[in-house]
Amino acid sequence: MSTSSPWARRALATVGVLGLVFLTVPIVIVVPMSFSSAKALTFPPPGFSLRWYETLFGNPRWMEAMSTSAILAVISSISALLLGGLAAYGLRRGAFRGRDWAESNFMAPLIVPAIITAIALYLGLAKIGLLGTFLGLVVAHTVLNVPLVMMVLGVAIRSFDLRIEQVAWSLGASWSYTVRKVVLPNLAPSVFAAWIFAFIGSFDEVIVTSFVAGKYDTVPKKMFNELILEVNPTITAVATLLIGLTVIALAAVAFILARAGKLKPTIV
Amino acid sequence: MRGTGLGFITPLLVVMVVAFDAPIVYMLGLAFWHKGQGPTLEHYQALFAAPVYLRVLGNTMRISLIATIANVAIGYPLAHWIRGLGGRGRAIAIAMVVLPFWVSILVRTYAWIVVLGNAGLVNRFLQWTGLTDAPVSFLYNELGVTIGMANVLLPFLVLPLFAAMIRIDDRLLQAAASLGASPRTIFWKIYFPLTLPALAAGTLLVFILCLGFYVTPAILGGGRVPMISNLLDTLINQMPRWEQASAISTILLIVTLLIFAAYRRLDRRAAA
Repeated sequence: MSTSSPWARRALATVGVLGLVFLTVPIVIVVPMSFSSAKALTFPPPGFSLRWYETLFGNPRWMEAMSTSAILAVISSISALLLGGLAAYGLRRGAFRGRDWAESNFMAPLIVPAIITAIALYLGLAKIGLLGTFLGLVVAHTVLNVPLVMMVLGVAIRSFDLRIEQVAWSLGASWSYTVRKVVLPNLAPSVFAAWIFAFIGSFDEVIVTSFVAGKYDTVPKKMFNELILEVNPTITAVATLLIGLTVIALAAVAFILARAGKLKPTIV
Repeated sequence: MRGTGLGFITPLLVVMVVAFDAPIVYMLGLAFWHKGQGPTLEHYQALFAAPVYLRVLGNTMRISLIATIANVAIGYPLAHWIRGLGGRGRAIAIAMVVLPFWVSILVRTYAWIVVLGNAGLVNRFLQWTGLTDAPVSFLYNELGVTIGMANVLLPFLVLPLFAAMIRIDDRLLQAAASLGASPRTIFWKIYFPLTLPALAAGTLLVFILCLGFYVTPAILGGGRVPMISNLLDTLINQMPRWEQASAISTILLIVTLLIFAAYRRLDRRAAA
């Protein structure tokens, strides 16, 4: 509103800038701290060193947690992408009774508090003897990441013109052929975005993992357990790596979507 | 259109029913079952008989409410300010909201230990300016937990609010101005009512997420600020009293779903 008083505009800008500072301060602080030479967590760091990264990469348990996290994230994000992608397509293009109900069910893990999902899966997996197994972890992470995939792909499929598919059908293509040769190539940027989001979702998941992982350590689980006990500067190095991973992943998504001209509808 | 599309959703449906719905139903069942005897309400009676549970419930409600109000107080002006920015400034500001949204909650919570600690940035600043002599304890109390939660949840309010605000046609505001309305009148009579459904929906969403918060109270509360989730953790992993945990989970689940239903109605109105 260009007509409001300069005083009001200045006050608004102050609150806005402070809001952004409040949002980003945790991220901005952690990165330089991870390169600190000091043992205590002081800001600004007294000197530059890579000692916390050396400690981190020299610790076999952290390395094992990283590989567990990476393998788990790859498998569960791909299964979430396959299951969620097919379902998003079926929901957008299909016509059957109970469609809304099915969609709500698929989106539920996003709304049900993670602690409840954690407890339910803990009890359920214990009942069938899968508690503390890698398979149990994969299933849990898949279920948790399906809503992210469906949100991104649901928007993309809705904005993809149905008539293009109808042309393919009218030319005699089967539904599966149409999906493979017409729909997927068009949706590729959104599929990539959905996969990245699911990967990050799995890589960062902590609550359900802490409950059902048993002896397996993932990066967030180990980080959480260490934070509860004591604050250790190695954690700043882990945190910085996680921030870096997120930045790279989001930049990749933004780049791919911007090139396809689809950036806006996906982010907001 | 060929077929019904049911085949596409069947694989996911099977996985969801087996790995999500069934465990939740099993948990609900435990809450109402006495081993070997049949249905019972005793776990709920035990719940209301023990003051510790009610205290944690009260804690959770109070912290969630304060964190939500703080979110609205910061989030609304922030989203409004971003709406008024030009193209490049707006893109940068939105990126600064979206990035934290995707960074691990653990990382963002952890950073507050550094920022709010006794020798942290905020305390050093306060002492440098002479506002306080001794360090203020922000950590391991309700204040720290509330700050951490407000920080984690802010993007959940700002992003939908901003989306609703940019849909408001500037010409509407200009028309009001040309008819002689003051900026204050335009804001309160036109702009604010148009953003109200999105604000209400975002507020409910933030509140729901607050109720189930686990990581932030565990880390920034240092065990001294238990919320429902932390109590559930104790009941499952340390005690173990599964039936009690199931009973509490059931209540939390029902409250969450009720608020979510209200959110959905408001969100539809905001999008319309």
